Amino acid sequence: MAETYTLPVGPLHVALEEPMYFDIKVEGETVRGLDLTAGHVHRGMEALAMHRNYFQNVTLTERVCSLCSNSHPATYCMAVETLAGITVPERGQYLRVIADEIKRVASHLFNVGIMAHLVGFDSLFMHAMEVRELMQDAKEGVYGNRMNLGQCTIGGTRTDIDKETARFLRGQIEALKPQLHELYGVFEKDPLIRTRTRGIGVLPEAEARRYAVVGPVARASGVAYDVRRKAPYATYEDLTFEVQSDTAGDVHSRAMLRLREAVESVSIIEQCLKQMPEGPVKIEGMAAVPAGESVARSEAPRGELVYFLRSDGSDTPQRVKWRVPTYMNWEALQVMMAGCQVADIPLIVNSIDPCISCTER
Amino acid sequence: MNEIAKQALENAVGKALGPGAVYWSTDANKNAFGWVKLCDPDALKLVAPHLAQAGARLMTVTAYRNDKFSRIEGREIAYHFDLDGVVITVTACVDSEPPRVPSITPWFQNADWNEREFTELYNIEVEGHPNPRRLFLDKELDGDILDRLVPLSTMMNGASTTTLWEKVFAGKQMPEWATKGAKN
Repeated sequence: MAETYTLPVGPLHVALEEPMYFDIKVEGETVRGLDLTAGHVHRGMEALAMHRNYFQNVTLTERVCSLCSNSHPATYCMAVETLAGITVPERGQYLRVIADEIKRVASHLFNVGIMAHLVGFDSLFMHAMEVRELMQDAKEGVYGNRMNLGQCTIGGTRTDIDKETARFLRGQIEALKPQLHELYGVFEKDPLIRTRTRGIGVLPEAEARRYAVVGPVARASGVAYDVRRKAPYATYEDLTFEVQSDTAGDVHSRAMLRLREAVESVSIIEQCLKQMPEGPVKIEGMAAVPAGESVARSEAPRGELVYFLRSDGSDTPQRVKWRVPTYMNWEALQVMMAGCQVADIPLIVNSIDPCISCTER
Repeated sequence: MNEIAKQALENAVGKALGPGAVYWSTDANKNAFGWVKLCDPDALKLVAPHLAQAGARLMTVTAYRNDKFSRIEGREIAYHFDLDGVVITVTACVDSEPPRVPSITPWFQNADWNEREFTELYNIEVEGHPNPRRLFLDKELDGDILDRLVPLSTMMNGASTTTLWEKVFAGKQMPEWATKGAKN
């Protein structure tokens, strides 16, 4: 019988952007078991949220994670709005969708870019990041920031998109479309990418359901669950888009799925810019938040994001709890990594689009 | 709103607790949210298998104190499930001392991390948990970090004020205003 030994990966490791410790049982070059140790960057943000008032928490939740930094305040605001009975003006709803989808394109391109880097295809990594710059510039041009947009507020959005800004945003999207198409072709056909990522880190549908994974990880394994369709929020009900899914459930299918979702997001932004009615973008003043509880959900770039809010009628929440998409996907690594090669570990970890600052909050 | 899923959840809870146990609400987009209250945490063992059988997915678990500032005793745990777009929240009261609740990992594999997290934040014991280790917090830290929630205002008016002024006026007569915080 071959000898097994333990290979420690992390908490600080060249292939990990954020600290997470993996205790990996290895037999030769093959992974036989996995143990996760978290908690290296725990910030106690849920405790902070209980000390801040409802408006201050919009800013706080935006800082949970940089790539999903629009989904967090948007979902938090939805939870407050449900509880306080606030109706967001329709234009505000459209503006929220635009911000969400711009962030989704940027997040997905970042993830597939890192995948190319981990495969060793650095020119493709740089190309993906360059394409992503179009969206980064769009964010800076429209909202004034490249990461945290500060767009959401309770009862609507902070900034409107006027005619001139809309023209600029359309221009960025037009420039993005052919590049996204080209990028998809490279990721789909390139022999290096295919060899390193196909059949690697497979998560079968039954296991995906058992571990209740969410987002692109679930959809690439055949669980076609997208909050935007299953429990529509903002204006998603009036928008046309296809929920992407796949059955292969490997590293390659997850990356391809993200690229297809980016294409869908581009179409959603276009529809929003076309359909958006004139009118106010936010409510005037602020309704009191009564005692009670509410749940709000959205589809963040990494998957389903859940906010639970409990109010005791004061100006600070009694409890705010949020469950981030990555939280659900970690444990499924046990299945994805079983039997893989040591060299594939970073690729598989990256394929769940891990966010540690989100997970630990 | 998905009526079939809503009915399936209602039936699943009904089998365990009898009819009329679920209260329904909707948000601005007409998405349905069900709310169930359990006075006895052990009733979780009745509800969880039926929800699992109906195909519900555990989304997350939230533990909290009945009263944010610990003025009244007791904790509650809210289990949030989803079935095809419909959310149901099953809230269990945890009044016992020491607080304890049964694990629902036999029916929901992903309850593992959630249960470990509320154990370390609120010191709630989970009976029958397969892997009762710390999740995020270091072993050296106290296990009830959110259970002892101290309001910021209480902390700012705390005894530290007196200590500070005692140092400032060391060896001199303390002015009257500086001794006012002493009773805290």
